[in-house]
Amino acid sequence: MSKKSENENGVPTTGHSWDGIEEYDNPMPRWWLYTFYACIVWGIAYSIAYPAWPMVNRATAGLLGFSTRGALVEELAAAEAANAQIDSRLASADLSVIADDAGLNQYAVSKGAAVYRTWCIQCHGSGAAGAVGFPNLLDDAWLWGGDIEAIQTTINHGIRNEDDPDARFSLMPAFGADQLLSEEQIEGVVNYVMSLSGEPHDAAMVAEGAEIFANECAACHSEDGTGNRDLGAPNLTDAVWLYGGDYDTLIETVTYARAGVMPAWGLRLGAAEINAVATYVHQLGGGE
Amino acid sequence: MSTSDDTPPNLYAAREPIFPKRVSGRFRNLKWIIMLLTLGVYYITPWFRWDRGPELPSQAVLVDLANRRFFFFFIEIWPHEFYFVAGLLIMAGLGLFLFTSALGRVWCGYTCPQTVWTDLFILVERWVEGDRNARLRLHRQQKMDVRKIRLRMTKFVIWALIALATGGAWVFYFADAPTLLWDLLTLQAHPVAYSTVFLLTATTFVFGGMMREQVCIYMCPWPRIQAAMMDEDTITVAYREWRGEPRGKHRKKADADEAPLGDCIDCNACVNVCPMGIDIRDGQQLECITCALCIDACDEMMEKIGKPRGLIDYMALTDEQHERSGQAKIPVWKHIFRLRTILYTSLWAAVGLGLTVALFIRPDLSVTVAPIRNPVYVTMSDGTIRNSYDVRLRNKHGEDRPFQISIETDDQLKVVAEGAEDALVLVPADSTKLQRVYIMAAPGSAAATSAVTDVRIWVEDTVSKERAGKDTVFNGKAE
Amino acid sequence: MSILNKHKILETNVTLLLIFSFIVVTIGGIVQIAPLFYLENTIEEVEGMRPYSPLELQGREIYQREGCYVCHSQMIRPMRDEIERYGHYSLAAESMYDRPFQWGSKRTGPDLARVGGRYSDDWHVAHLEDPQSVVPESVMPKYAFLMHHTVHSSHIADYMKTHKLLGVPYTDEMIENAKADFAAQANPDSDYDGLLERYPGAQVRNFDGEPGISEMDALVAYLQMLGTLVDFSTFTPDASR
Repeated sequence: MSKKSENENGVPTTGHSWDGIEEYDNPMPRWWLYTFYACIVWGIAYSIAYPAWPMVNRATAGLLGFSTRGALVEELAAAEAANAQIDSRLASADLSVIADDAGLNQYAVSKGAAVYRTWCIQCHGSGAAGAVGFPNLLDDAWLWGGDIEAIQTTINHGIRNEDDPDARFSLMPAFGADQLLSEEQIEGVVNYVMSLSGEPHDAAMVAEGAEIFANECAACHSEDGTGNRDLGAPNLTDAVWLYGGDYDTLIETVTYARAGVMPAWGLRLGAAEINAVATYVHQLGGGE
Repeated sequence: MSTSDDTPPNLYAAREPIFPKRVSGRFRNLKWIIMLLTLGVYYITPWFRWDRGPELPSQAVLVDLANRRFFFFFIEIWPHEFYFVAGLLIMAGLGLFLFTSALGRVWCGYTCPQTVWTDLFILVERWVEGDRNARLRLHRQQKMDVRKIRLRMTKFVIWALIALATGGAWVFYFADAPTLLWDLLTLQAHPVAYSTVFLLTATTFVFGGMMREQVCIYMCPWPRIQAAMMDEDTITVAYREWRGEPRGKHRKKADADEAPLGDCIDCNACVNVCPMGIDIRDGQQLECITCALCIDACDEMMEKIGKPRGLIDYMALTDEQHERSGQAKIPVWKHIFRLRTILYTSLWAAVGLGLTVALFIRPDLSVTVAPIRNPVYVTMSDGTIRNSYDVRLRNKHGEDRPFQISIETDDQLKVVAEGAEDALVLVPADSTKLQRVYIMAAPGSAAATSAVTDVRIWVEDTVSKERAGKDTVFNGKAE
Repeated sequence: MSILNKHKILETNVTLLLIFSFIVVTIGGIVQIAPLFYLENTIEEVEGMRPYSPLELQGREIYQREGCYVCHSQMIRPMRDEIERYGHYSLAAESMYDRPFQWGSKRTGPDLARVGGRYSDDWHVAHLEDPQSVVPESVMPKYAFLMHHTVHSSHIADYMKTHKLLGVPYTDEMIENAKADFAAQANPDSDYDGLLERYPGAQVRNFDGEPGISEMDALVAYLQMLGTLVDFSTFTPDASR
């Protein structure tokens, strides 16, 4: 380092000279320097107040006793406490009249929408339009009932799961796979079922199919094919098909049967959340 | 390297305190009137009441941030009508262009809050500590004796009270003034209200009492912007150098030996009254806010020595050229009525007219329609095809109104509101309601089987019969 | 003062500058990383953790092979919004047998740290075959081919040995029974008592519903056990960590 020299402005230079270009050695601006010192003081104070320095067995805990997990527990507790009152009202609410309580209803729909987006959209879709095998929640066709109590029961206990003894349960026999009906008989009953909802069908096979239907299917799907909600047996006369209403799909359905599963959400979610999502689903457009 | 021993120039200049002298005259009187008007409007406006019924606040001028409304007497602006604010800002901009090109920094000199409050603070200072010379003496007095402390404290207390009133008045524009005043006094108001009052009190005190002209010179961008907007026809405060120079002490009799002097007697009256601490005789300067106090001071002096007024005067650069070449001053109206100013005025008026028309033709209800596209349609059990729409209904009346939703289309479509048998929706007073609306097409109908059908959703206020419509589409199940 | 004036040596010698920069960065790294290995409150003992069963390990291998970690994280951070969506925040111990860990750094898809048991096997199979069939707005590619790829158990013991070499506590018994356990977990009709003894909490099912062990079986077995080993109804993590 060469000796510092001064230039025509009287400002000392660092003595560096690169290709004849020299560098002023001005002091740091006062405000900058003090900000810098303040940062150092802040850093020391911060490392005293918060967990920081690794020691032999533990890191220093900090005077404020902060921890990420502790802060999280507090935040969760605060969120729960903030909603505790309305949640307990919602948990014990009479769902059939919830629509009359505008404030509670609005809370339930908003909360239900959040619960729905977390737990339900994977099967029923973000727009609640369902998918093949997963019912559309927007229409007015309900397997197990579309009033708010029935919806709540379905969500709470689920369908055909092994976790909840109160789960809704019914089983369609695999008529083809278990050789209860011959292939011809299945073709006949499928043609009959298609005739119920006015789909194109082979009229010659309908009569035979009707007879088989009366013997084998009417117990659950009822004699006129309108289904039975106590058994989750779908209405076969309407325009809504869970697995598809075309000939091939119906043959497959009758041959192998269908048994969709829904988890018992009561085992995972609280009563307020169940009621909220039931309220939400009920107001999607098909609620009865 | 020749001047290497020179000390570096000091880049910092300490402020020279300014003690403006009392002055009287027509511009000073005008400034008093404007000060009274502006301060009066500022302090009194929030206290005007205006009856808007039980649901709405009864304050004439109110910025209701919580409910996102702006009330101005009979006008109520909703957030989606923010273009009114944009329009007013455009008008303010054009107004600034107009006044600057015609009258220079007239805003700075008369109506700028910084000028008005500084003027008020100087008035208090003069009232407590005396006029310029007394204040100068007090300033130079090193010893902090009882008198100096008493005078300083009196001044600061009065300043603080004015500042508090200023900061306090501001928050009344954002909440019901009488309620808020009571809350403020009983320490029940929101912390935001107190911190706003404190902040504005502090800035008023510091800007008006301590910093004064430094705000204009160093902090404010106006002087730079306005300097760029002035031209040679702009009327500003100027010194008639050709008449005043060479300046010199006033003599009763002209001495033949000496060269004839100009009208300026170098009394420094114009400098002593200047709140910006400049000498207008040096010509137009960035610091000059054209408050015209130097005109008053000089006119008073000219009258005393029996010379014509107007050594310092409002004039334009073109006037100077005319007068130097011996011609008469151009009339003021010729400076003001120029193509540029007329253009600004007509633009300003056009925007204003447009806003006024928009204000009076806007409906008291409005509607937006967002089709739900997930899924685009739902097949009902009887084969009906149903589409859903999120409809936002705005009721700007001060009372609840039932709105009837209907649709206009060539096809046989049916419309119902969610949770209802029909399409009649009650929208609470002065609020927006989000309502899901279903449109249904019977199985096999034209709309149900074609991909897209145009639909217009109408909303009618069943009381006032006002209508608003929005075009949207119905998606069918195309075969 | 003299040593401070020597910086010109470093500044004018690029190689030396690089070496010294590296030393400085190393010191910084050591100071930050080394304490994590010995500080008591960074090491959490958690009940229920066990090494992956052979089938799960194979599924994990497929998970890595297909690059699932590029779009899916396996790390629920201690934040309210994540917990309400995904479940209890992840503990360091839950990744203790991961070589390498699958925390990921980007969520194009959702976090999978606790996806186990959340959906049915059928859903997973349908979703992997054609994600858009169950989640229309999904951008996930289709993995239907997993269904047609049979996985063989011949290499699984070697694979476990490698993991043992890396520190996963596979016992000799586990490695001996690797093939049998591998087959048993995908076949509910087999004798799987030994498997459950060696890997408590292992789920035994025919995951893909088809005969034989496909890659789908392995992957779904892995997905269905993710985040299920620690029972948070009985274990409460220390809040001070």
